[in-house]
Amino acid sequence: MMNFLKLAFRRLFRKGEHSLTRIVSLTAGLAFGILLLSEVLYYFSYDSFYPDADRIYLVHENFNMDKSSNEMESYPRVSGAVAPGLKAEVPGIEAATRLNPLGDHMIYTDDFNSYDAKVSLADEHLFDVLPVPMISGNPEEILKSPMTCMVSQEIADNMGGNVMGKVIGIKAYPDKKLTIAGVFETLPENTNYEYDVLISMVSTDQFTWDGTENWMGNDRYYACVKLSPGATPSDLAPAVRAMQVKHQDIEKLEEENQGVVLEYSFKPIKQIKVDNVKDMILILATIALSVLFVSLMNYILLTMGTLIARAKSSAIHKTCGADTKNLQRMILSETVVVFAISIVGALLLIWGLKPLAEAQWGHDLTSVLNPYVIAPLVVLILFLVFVTSYFPGRFFSRIPVATAFRSYQQKKSKWKLVLLSFQFVGATFILTVLVFVTLQYNNMKNADHGYTAEGVYYVSTEGMDGNKIGMVLNELRAMPDIEMVGLGDDDPVSGASGNNVLSQDGKRELFNVADFYEVDSNYLSILGIHVDEGEGFSSNQAVPNDVVISKRGAELLKLNNGWTDGVVGKQIALTQHESTTIRGVFPDFVIQSISNPDMRPSVFFYQPEEKFEELKIEDPSERFNIMIKASNGVQEGIMDRIRTVVNLGFPHEDTVVKSLETEQLNAYQGQKGFRNAMIIGNAIILLVTIIGLLGYTFNESTRRRKELAIRRISGATLSDILKSFISDLEYVAVPAVVLGLLGAWLTLDKWMQNFAFKMDLHWAIFAVCSLFILLMIAVIATINYTRTANRNPVDALRQE
Amino acid sequence: MLLQLNDIFKWVNSGGQRIFLLKDINLEVEEGEFISVMGPSGSGKSTLLNVIGMLDTFDEGEYNFLDESVHSLKEKHRSNLYKQYIGFVFQSYHLLDELTVKENLEMPLIYKKIKGSERKAMVADMLDRFNIVGKKDLFPAQLSGGQQQLVGVARALIANPKLILADEPTGNLNSTQGEEIMELFKQLNDEGVTIIQVTHSEKNAEYGSRIINLLDGRMV
Repeated sequence: MMNFLKLAFRRLFRKGEHSLTRIVSLTAGLAFGILLLSEVLYYFSYDSFYPDADRIYLVHENFNMDKSSNEMESYPRVSGAVAPGLKAEVPGIEAATRLNPLGDHMIYTDDFNSYDAKVSLADEHLFDVLPVPMISGNPEEILKSPMTCMVSQEIADNMGGNVMGKVIGIKAYPDKKLTIAGVFETLPENTNYEYDVLISMVSTDQFTWDGTENWMGNDRYYACVKLSPGATPSDLAPAVRAMQVKHQDIEKLEEENQGVVLEYSFKPIKQIKVDNVKDMILILATIALSVLFVSLMNYILLTMGTLIARAKSSAIHKTCGADTKNLQRMILSETVVVFAISIVGALLLIWGLKPLAEAQWGHDLTSVLNPYVIAPLVVLILFLVFVTSYFPGRFFSRIPVATAFRSYQQKKSKWKLVLLSFQFVGATFILTVLVFVTLQYNNMKNADHGYTAEGVYYVSTEGMDGNKIGMVLNELRAMPDIEMVGLGDDDPVSGASGNNVLSQDGKRELFNVADFYEVDSNYLSILGIHVDEGEGFSSNQAVPNDVVISKRGAELLKLNNGWTDGVVGKQIALTQHESTTIRGVFPDFVIQSISNPDMRPSVFFYQPEEKFEELKIEDPSERFNIMIKASNGVQEGIMDRIRTVVNLGFPHEDTVVKSLETEQLNAYQGQKGFRNAMIIGNAIILLVTIIGLLGYTFNESTRRRKELAIRRISGATLSDILKSFISDLEYVAVPAVVLGLLGAWLTLDKWMQNFAFKMDLHWAIFAVCSLFILLMIAVIATINYTRTANRNPVDALRQE
Repeated sequence: MLLQLNDIFKWVNSGGQRIFLLKDINLEVEEGEFISVMGPSGSGKSTLLNVIGMLDTFDEGEYNFLDESVHSLKEKHRSNLYKQYIGFVFQSYHLLDELTVKENLEMPLIYKKIKGSERKAMVADMLDRFNIVGKKDLFPAQLSGGQQQLVGVARALIANPKLILADEPTGNLNSTQGEEIMELFKQLNDEGVTIIQVTHSEKNAEYGSRIINLLDGRMV
């Protein structure tokens, strides 16, 4: 084998081997294929690093929202008492724990240094289910002690290393102090439950409403359980039901609601990420495999072309005693060498694309370097090496010696057309998908979202001194380039939580609304949301707690309550709110993004500016947004000027100013990334296909040079010859293009299901894409065949 | 008896017709013979040589080599038989361009799975014997035609074959070089190696102890 490898290295630099061409096309294909497939495999590796990961499950609650159907909705969080209840009352559950994420926060040490961290509350059983190696401290003790926390090694290192006993604060909860009592090894990125700071769950009431003992409602706890060896989720069902009967009075609830109200199910922790991104997995894998397939077909095509040219060497080896296996090993060695170089090239290319890839995937590229990703990739590459060496090796070893020593010519060229047609399928597929993905992205990005985002900026009051809000608002209003300043709890891009609108008798929940909670008199004007029925909150008549509702909500109210004279002025009740009067109706707008829209009706409640200030002073952890509308045309440096002013209200001068327009655009990052991936994939496939076409037409014109010469001598014109040769190609290209279009249509149809607003899969776009590919084939073939056809036919015949 | 061909037929089908490349060949070769095969172009000389060398198959007949029935052997056994007993020399030398002289000589030994140290010794012996030690690191393109053919013969001999099959071994050489090669064959034959050569040259044919004439695939 070493001798074959030495030979293979030497062959690399020989003329006519197309080594560079083969390596370039393989490198490009492997780089893109490995990058995409590693991301797909990365999803499958989520939470696999936990010991006994196969026995760990996340508890889901399933409930029926739509009484007219039996379909259950599944939600990955449960009430606080469920996890301990399962541990105590369900045999087969070895351990159970609760996590209550508080989100991304800025934390402070006493020396006023700040650190970004994901913060979560967790109970003392966390490491029984989801263990992470400890650097220092006893996790059970820490998670049992009030206002005690532990931090990741990364955070500890950033804080200077020795953090035990240090006191930290959280920007959003300025009056709370936590003591660090432990350090754990930083979690890998492939986990569903990320945290940098773990706070004991007994401290819950310091940060949020304490629902740790709740059996129903306040379902914000991730409950993870570890089953005993051999136990399955279906084994647990009777005991879980018994627990529900005992603690939730579930039978009575079911009788009242005439059906299933609430059930629990167990989802394997390793399956959660995969289920969440299954469409993405399908699409990424399809594109990755298409690119890999096309570049491999091209590699085989080019390799076979070179093997025909070196048929004589096959015979020489045979006369030296080589048997079939020896020759196959020889080709395998050559493939291994080309693959090894291409893989190194691909890895370097990936390294070069690292910033782009990390921005797209949202995680460090090095985090895919785990056995769950690497092992399947290695197996795949070995398989590819085998396949790409097997067929050329088989062909090479079967060249008859007697004919090889004469002028060996391949008589049949159909197989080449088949290989080439695979490339046409891939090129058509990916080009068509790219065109639609780009159009869909542009349509979404440029669509009217129903509110104004341009020139709108906002700042969260998280960590702000409530006493200074009034002053900050006045300073902002005094800025010459600020048109309007207002206050509101939420913004359209981040979305809103939900509440139910109740029936007039208060006994039934009619429908769920996206509740944007309180806004002041300027909020709707800043966003350009016009109340076109009734009036908004800007008039002097506005009363605190009055509500405006979207048109879709108004229609539902009319339908449910039998109102024929409109909804303005009517009284309604919503969960979590007092009874309120509808002040106006506004047109529905896009909540979150067009790619992931919240289709619920929406509501805003009125709260005067002074009340916002008052609440913030009363409770420093109260948070809302300061909304700022810049004057028309002002863009340059506006965010810095806003930051400077708003910093007056922040003790640490750490204001974060966001542009609503940028946030809106960021909501389409997924589609943008997909489009970018498609552009790269398309460039690679087109490059590979062009290389394949050039190789094929070159080999064909060499193989058929005698025929070309005879045709020329017989009086055929250049166009006659081109027509004959190109039509051979197009006969294969047309069905290949149709297949590619079909694949693209199926993929796009699936992809478009992700969007509420989708563009038409119009036939004309498919037609243009297919014409482009067919034209490209004709042009490349024309250039290459023209060169051969214009040679002196006598020379060709003399060579024969 | 080294080999025996009984009623060998080889044909190709073309345009619905059967064209015979070899027709009813019967040949017995004793160990130590030096046979010259002659005939016009297309008479089947090279095909016969390839059949004897087990590099080409035949359609009918029997072929026995050292009491082994070649016609009924599987490829692996046939290949082993070939590796052990047969060496080939060609008109166009057919050295591997990407290998040095030393590596070209080593190639048959590699396929014979001879150990590295032993291979080195055998190659060194052969280089010495053919007086080409100084050329061992050169590539074929750096040698003259005569030198290339010398390497070709050395490569054919290195695995100690019983039979050398030579297909117009002097065809590309000038008369002096050709004579040197033929003298070398004679010397090898004297040492006990059986030689079957295909040649157009009456003069070279006379080096053989027996001449076989072929015409249209038949022995005449």
